[in-house]
Amino acid sequence: MHPALLQILAANPQSGVALPPRWGWYVILYFFLGGLAGGLLAIAAALDAVGDDRDREAVRLAHRLAFPLVLVCGALLTIDLGQPLRFWHMLIKSNRFPEPLLKPWSPISLGSWIVMVFAIIAFVEFLGTLADAPGDNAGDDVLTKWAWLAKFRRDTLVPARERVRSWPSAVHRTWQALAALAGLALAGYTGVLVTGTSRVAWHNARLMGALFLLSGASTAYALLMLLLVRRGRGAADTTVRKLGAADQWAVGFELLVLALMLISLGALGRPFWSGGFGVVFWLGVVGIGLIIPLARHWIALGPGEHGVTRAARCVLIGGFLLRVVIVMSPQYPAVPLWHL
Amino acid sequence: MAKGFYTDTTACIGCKACQVACHQWNDIPAAEGGRTELSGDSYDNTQTLSAENWRHVKFIEQITEDRTQEGFLQGSRWLMMSDVCKHCVHAACLEVCPTGAIIRTEFDSVFIQQDACNGCRACVAACPFGVVDIGRDGKAHKCTMCYDRLQNGREPACAQACPTESIRFGDIPDLMKLADARVAQLKEQHIDAYVYGKEDIVGGLNAFYVLVDEPHVYGLPEKPELGSKNVDEGFALSGVAAAALAVTGLVSFRKSRMDEKAGAATEDHH
Ligand code: SF4
Repeated sequence: MHPALLQILAANPQSGVALPPRWGWYVILYFFLGGLAGGLLAIAAALDAVGDDRDREAVRLAHRLAFPLVLVCGALLTIDLGQPLRFWHMLIKSNRFPEPLLKPWSPISLGSWIVMVFAIIAFVEFLGTLADAPGDNAGDDVLTKWAWLAKFRRDTLVPARERVRSWPSAVHRTWQALAALAGLALAGYTGVLVTGTSRVAWHNARLMGALFLLSGASTAYALLMLLLVRRGRGAADTTVRKLGAADQWAVGFELLVLALMLISLGALGRPFWSGGFGVVFWLGVVGIGLIIPLARHWIALGPGEHGVTRAARCVLIGGFLLRVVIVMSPQYPAVPLWHL
Repeated sequence: MAKGFYTDTTACIGCKACQVACHQWNDIPAAEGGRTELSGDSYDNTQTLSAENWRHVKFIEQITEDRTQEGFLQGSRWLMMSDVCKHCVHAACLEVCPTGAIIRTEFDSVFIQQDACNGCRACVAACPFGVVDIGRDGKAHKCTMCYDRLQNGREPACAQACPTESIRFGDIPDLMKLADARVAQLKEQHIDAYVYGKEDIVGGLNAFYVLVDEPHVYGLPEKPELGSKNVDEGFALSGVAAAALAVTGLVSFRKSRMDEKAGAATEDHH
């Protein structure tokens, strides 16, 4: 047995010696894109509920993105399996088809259902954006390019949406709440997934779910701001300002939760902040991802839109690197920087 | 009746008959096509439990610096232990498995159904003993307690092959009595022995051990926890974060509207 492992065991009597599950780039990308998709759907629901007409573009953008993103997530999860064709075993009892299989106490089982429910809600919202007048949304040229799609839109989607619009507002509110919940669940459960393992650093990080959830939301705010600015909205635009204000909160909470998590982990958190991954953690996650965006009013990131887009890019980079460090470092602890 | 293994590590001579018998009965191919690579770690060349090694004999050499001591081994000793899946009473692997591939059998052993496993690797990360591993077929593998043999009234291949009865198979209460008696006997000889795997270790292990040194010396966790132990707390704390996000999000989205209204009102006033 490796002496380092013996030392860990001696120092942490409560820990196990779980083998690394060899989660790699697919899982890292899934954690990042899942957080982004979840954040987008939740933010869209909130903006839809309390925003005004000027926020519609952001809501539609979020709805346009959330569904394709969750499709990518599903694909990533599937190809990561040792037996990809058996992906449906996650939801259905393979020996008692088609009985559903849900173990709510197992984050990976619960999470499979969260992805499923999220995908359904995101699909409905995506269809809703297709019912918008062509030209309202990015990628709308396909609506006119493909005749069948134009026909489907005219004959099915638009009338369906009119019908839905006439439903009582309580129904709309419930739907929004459901969408927000599904989004937050998707962004957060992946963190709890790693808490549910026996690898010491993961197992003891009870705040991981909260951290991933906040990071998912902050990256989604950032992406929306970035896209709005690209579509010609200025830094002074009300929606951009609203998203910016909310993002500051999310990033602030994220920093707080991260600090609390590291303090509560003590020496057990060493894989995260030491060695090669430690460099990425301090510079990328904390520095670029949290401190720079939080301090953007004090440090000059450039005037107007430039400041907004630079801060947003930093949040996105930091959010991605957070997933890299959290997933990789406890599996491959002693990796020096030059081997990353 | 729960069946299991009682392994008396003090009787193990490190012959690896259990490893060989396991490979033979379960028809497990050698790793890396049988290429022998010396590990440089005593007589241990398989190194760990894996998809190909469902039994693994650990060699722990405790050699004193000072070789001038009296006695046969001059204060040094070798500890040997045939490691295996513990078939835990509260099994983390079974608990987390999302496909239902991991089940508890009528013998109380923990069994992975190969036709259901999809290789998600949740069990690998969950097992606190580092037992489950993914094979080249992309599926999870570990000791089956020779489920096929048990169903036919035979004992597992490893226990049958063990020449020193270091590994014994039987009903757990009977085995536990044997283990307690062995511990008492060893204590009489002033050897600090104890049973590892009573109820204090994840509800009990159906493959338990008599050890003569701290668990970590054998690469075993002192007080392993179930992976799921902190999951509820994790979800609850995520809920708190979600609430904080919701409040600040909604306030930020609304506040600018308020600010604007206030701005418009002052302009009107002028
Ligand atoms: S030792 Fe690991 S693989 Fe074996 S039953 Fe316990 S948790 Fe499962």
